[in-house]
Amino acid sequence: MSADAAAVAIKVRRPWFGERLLSGRVLKGALGLLLVLVAWQVSVPLVGLPEYFYPSALAVWRAFLELIRKGILPVYVADSLGRYVTGVGLGTLIGVSLGLLISLSRTTARVLAPLVNFLYAIVEVAWIPLFVIWWGYGLKVILVALIYVVMFPILYNTLVGIRTVPQVYINALRSLGGSRLQVIREVLVPAALPNIITGFRVGAGFAFRGLIFSEMIAAKTGLGYLIFEGTAHHQTARTIVGMICMGVLWLLIDNVYLKPFERATVERWGTVVAAEERR
Amino acid sequence: MSSASRRLVDDLSGAIPFVMALAGWALLSNYGNVPEYMLPPLGQMWMRFREALVDGSLLRHVSGSLYRLAISFVIGNAIAIPLGIAIAMNRNVSDLLRPVLTFFQSIAGIAWVPLAVIWFGIGMGSVIFVITNTIFFGAIYSTVIGVQMIPKTLHRAVLCHGAKGMQVFTELILPGALVQIILGLRTSMAYGWRALVAGEMIAGSSGLGYMTIEAVQWYQTDTVIMGMILIGLLWLMLDRLLFAPLERHTVARWGLLQR
Repeated sequence: MSADAAAVAIKVRRPWFGERLLSGRVLKGALGLLLVLVAWQVSVPLVGLPEYFYPSALAVWRAFLELIRKGILPVYVADSLGRYVTGVGLGTLIGVSLGLLISLSRTTARVLAPLVNFLYAIVEVAWIPLFVIWWGYGLKVILVALIYVVMFPILYNTLVGIRTVPQVYINALRSLGGSRLQVIREVLVPAALPNIITGFRVGAGFAFRGLIFSEMIAAKTGLGYLIFEGTAHHQTARTIVGMICMGVLWLLIDNVYLKPFERATVERWGTVVAAEERR
Repeated sequence: MSSASRRLVDDLSGAIPFVMALAGWALLSNYGNVPEYMLPPLGQMWMRFREALVDGSLLRHVSGSLYRLAISFVIGNAIAIPLGIAIAMNRNVSDLLRPVLTFFQSIAGIAWVPLAVIWFGIGMGSVIFVITNTIFFGAIYSTVIGVQMIPKTLHRAVLCHGAKGMQVFTELILPGALVQIILGLRTSMAYGWRALVAGEMIAGSSGLGYMTIEAVQWYQTDTVIMGMILIGLLWLMLDRLLFAPLERHTVARWGLLQR
């Protein structure tokens, strides 16, 4: 390609990290966040509302320090994270294995697809009241809700992924002497993998909000509980600490864990050509 | 077998698991020694459904939920999409605001419910605030991304051909960002729907979410399950009848979605 050749010929000097940091997006982005914080802090005396109604940025910072000093926040974050990882892990495991199992025969996949669609549509939030009736308030409700919310997008997408594999590929491998097992390993699983990953990403996103909600209803620790309990005792600053921690935690999970994972798998399999082209 | 009758068989075969699930439910609740509060008999479910239909409470809850969703959807998008485009047209502004938007998008939704109760009290205001918040940040984020993802080359090409002000907007920005905006609509609606149900459970005074959580207090499992089934059916209708066709007519037509 001529563009590649040109790039090699000119050999553009890559700016060093600090340089990029100062001139680039990172700095502007940090500035944006800072502006929001300053605007928030300045607006508090201007609107003159009671602290429980509209706490200042500094009050939230003090609540944050207090929650850390008392050791509450680290425990809550660890609890939430533990529940999240357990629920998402189990949900992924069950979703993928069930999806592959159902897809082994086209008939079962076809027969079960409407049921999967329907159960996927009953959002986990709607199951929580029934779970509470069955098992009372507690960890079980949260874990089952998380498993549910991760399982169905994966299951749904696995079924769709395998259904859309062209029959020609399967026929080709069969006529080359491939066994049923080889068809699964060499054609169906790789073909469905991008869909499975997509389902996983969707499920992981819903699961995080689902975690916060189920902790509001059925837990006595965790970030959801912190967010919920704070307002019940007019400690609104604590609620906001919980919300910010939740946001930061989700961004960490998403950027450090999920996005690289997706890049490593989906993009390699070439389904996100569009994004590649537009870069 | 002709293809039409084969399709009919395919469609009908999908009903088999539902019938089996219902049969299993009937057996379990009648002979399975399961207490009624854990799994109400089908007859009781049907009675409850008819009762709620006749006294109008069911219709009131469903229409209340849909009304709140519709209002929030319109308000959220009506502000977010123009604002998102305006932000994205200026590189500096969008660089400044993108982390802020990313952050707000990541906490949008259910987490705002307790704060909303402090600000607006229990009821309609809180629920609408939470859903609007979810939809607003979903829509504005995907709009900004959509505009920024338009290749520079196209921008230059349009300018080269002599496009001016408004033309750049109608010929390049709008169609270019549309795909991302519509994908964003569907995603934010999915989050908005969860926020609606969850918000009504914690902060509502009517609606499907309120109906189900209220029934938990009295161990009215029939009402809880009825609410769940309706929540599922309504979402299927919304997603398949509204968003799937919208996506098909726009995103798929513009050829950017590879399936």
